[in-house]
Amino acid sequence: MNPITIAWLLLPLLAAFLAALLPVIARGGVLFTCLGTAAMALAAQQSWVPTSLQLLGPLGITLRPDGLAAPFLLLNALVCAAVVLDGWRRPQSEAWPLLLLVLHGSVNSAIVAADLISIYVALEVVGIAAFLLLVLGGGRRQVWVGVRLMLVSNTVMLLFLIGCGLLYLEQRSFALAAVGQAGGLVLALLAVGLLTKAEVFVAGLWLPRTNAEGPLEVSALLSGTVVSAGVVPLLRISAEAASLLPVLRWLGIASAAGGVLLALLEPDLRRLLAWSTLAQMGLVVILPAVGGLYALGHGLAKAALFLLARHIPDPALAGWRQRRLAPRLWWPLMLASLSIAGLPPLLGFLAKEQLSSQLPGAAGWLVTALGAGTVAVYARIWAPPGRPQSGAGAGAGAEAPASTGATLLVSALLLLSVSPWALPLWTVMPPRVLAGAIVKSAFVFAAGLMLHRLLTAPAFAPASATASATASPTASAPALGPTAPIPAPPWRPPLEGLDELLGAIVLLGAVLVGLLGWQP
Amino acid sequence: MTAFRALELMVLLAVLAGLVGLLWHRNLFLKVLAMDVTSTAVISLFVLIAARDGLITPILQGDTPVVDPRAALTYADPIPQAVTLTAIVIGFSVQALLLLATTLLAGRDPSLDVAELDQPEAAGSRAGP
Repeated sequence: MNPITIAWLLLPLLAAFLAALLPVIARGGVLFTCLGTAAMALAAQQSWVPTSLQLLGPLGITLRPDGLAAPFLLLNALVCAAVVLDGWRRPQSEAWPLLLLVLHGSVNSAIVAADLISIYVALEVVGIAAFLLLVLGGGRRQVWVGVRLMLVSNTVMLLFLIGCGLLYLEQRSFALAAVGQAGGLVLALLAVGLLTKAEVFVAGLWLPRTNAEGPLEVSALLSGTVVSAGVVPLLRISAEAASLLPVLRWLGIASAAGGVLLALLEPDLRRLLAWSTLAQMGLVVILPAVGGLYALGHGLAKAALFLLARHIPDPALAGWRQRRLAPRLWWPLMLASLSIAGLPPLLGFLAKEQLSSQLPGAAGWLVTALGAGTVAVYARIWAPPGRPQSGAGAGAGAEAPASTGATLLVSALLLLSVSPWALPLWTVMPPRVLAGAIVKSAFVFAAGLMLHRLLTAPAFAPASATASATASPTASAPALGPTAPIPAPPWRPPLEGLDELLGAIVLLGAVLVGLLGWQP
Repeated sequence: MTAFRALELMVLLAVLAGLVGLLWHRNLFLKVLAMDVTSTAVISLFVLIAARDGLITPILQGDTPVVDPRAALTYADPIPQAVTLTAIVIGFSVQALLLLATTLLAGRDPSLDVAELDQPEAAGSRAGP
């Protein structure tokens, strides 16, 4: 069965070469490749293919298309297919589907790779493909955002490579199993690289500006699939190295708390979604056993939200309730955001319930409390649907077409919660536990909505008042175009400059070295 | 202190020099160059690791080693060398892409000051053509 796995890994790259020669087949090639990846995800879930492959001898390449990889592979397939379907009607650069194929293939490799050097190579290719997708538009902002991302990601990959070198010096092996006996310095260097790629805690601060100023399809890809390229190796390493697990748990909770807090204060829809990604990825790395399911639920919903944000003319959150959304956009938006918030029959609820029930002690309660924060974050974009008000500079929004990609993702989200992926998890839950979980989630929703009320109460909301004051020029001046960034509110500290990003990563590395124990 | 330790320390210093340069410089071009310093230091770390037991290249001709194993007991380790080759290629392509993008940015704003490029509401979206 090995040839099948290898052929599947090579398929996207082959399709990319073909697409370069015959641009006509490019988009069909993307869909075909995504189908292949979805089939592979199913095969990996059901163990139809060998779950561990060793190529080129004991020091060679290790691939593990196993149960941990399966949900991430499915996520990658669905998000890439949705993005290409969403842009089917729009004229695009010929390079776009080609780069998408390369990104898809390299994310696949990063998900199944299980030795450090393969992970390094795959992550670098992911970084290069994401950079090229970002700068494809060619505007000055896009090029700058791309350069920023590339500088940060290449710097952390160099740290990762130093970690690999030191590990080889200690253990004479690049295999993941060797990481378990590695010293604290090696672990810290590897973790910094992967945390940055996985957008967790301060290492993920590059994300909001990249998402707000880059093209929104690329934001969907970044939040949906590119994160999984960083998360899966991180989960694999934390399964080997027991000393990393508690550190990751607290980093994850800190990331979730920080992300929720910043999302609550954010005046811009796209940046709110990005902060929420930061928070949710923090929750993914807390518990490797649930991480796959959680990332699948979150990635599908978040990519759908970014694709929907394309069709929303004004991303300012001030005055969101006055601007009604067309029902065709409202339904997927509500379902996706309710799933992230954890409404009972949806996939997000199942993932959240698994997470908080399997976490010991205080961490479980903290996660539940953060769930209320997440509800409050998404309550900001919940508003009744309706015909958009005519005038108000929203001529494009009046007859907004449905977003094909978002519809696909949301229906996948609905279908998956009754599919073989999630069904066993539902059925093993005794009715009493299930009822308890539903009651708990009702409390979480009530608490979240109360928090939202409290924050938006006119007497109690200096933040939203300043936000509406600064955002109103954007709303009244459509000449700025839909993608003009909303000026930052004055209270926000400048955390997202390039120097701050690099400094934060170096600091995080130092803290990790301290936490994991300095053993040169 | 052995020669290996001394060289390792120098590689570490080069990595730190690159990182400090990356944080210190305000000019994007210099930042990219500083990253290249780090990258070169990492590559030399791998070369050093490969050469820690010996310096002779392990090449087989048919089944017999090119260098007589009795004459030279200390071969270099081929695995880190193979990895370095990959890292060099990737580092080179990343560097090329970054320099290309820097050139694009320099066409509009030759000062390449990072703080200026980071201004969210800079001329880009408003005064753009």
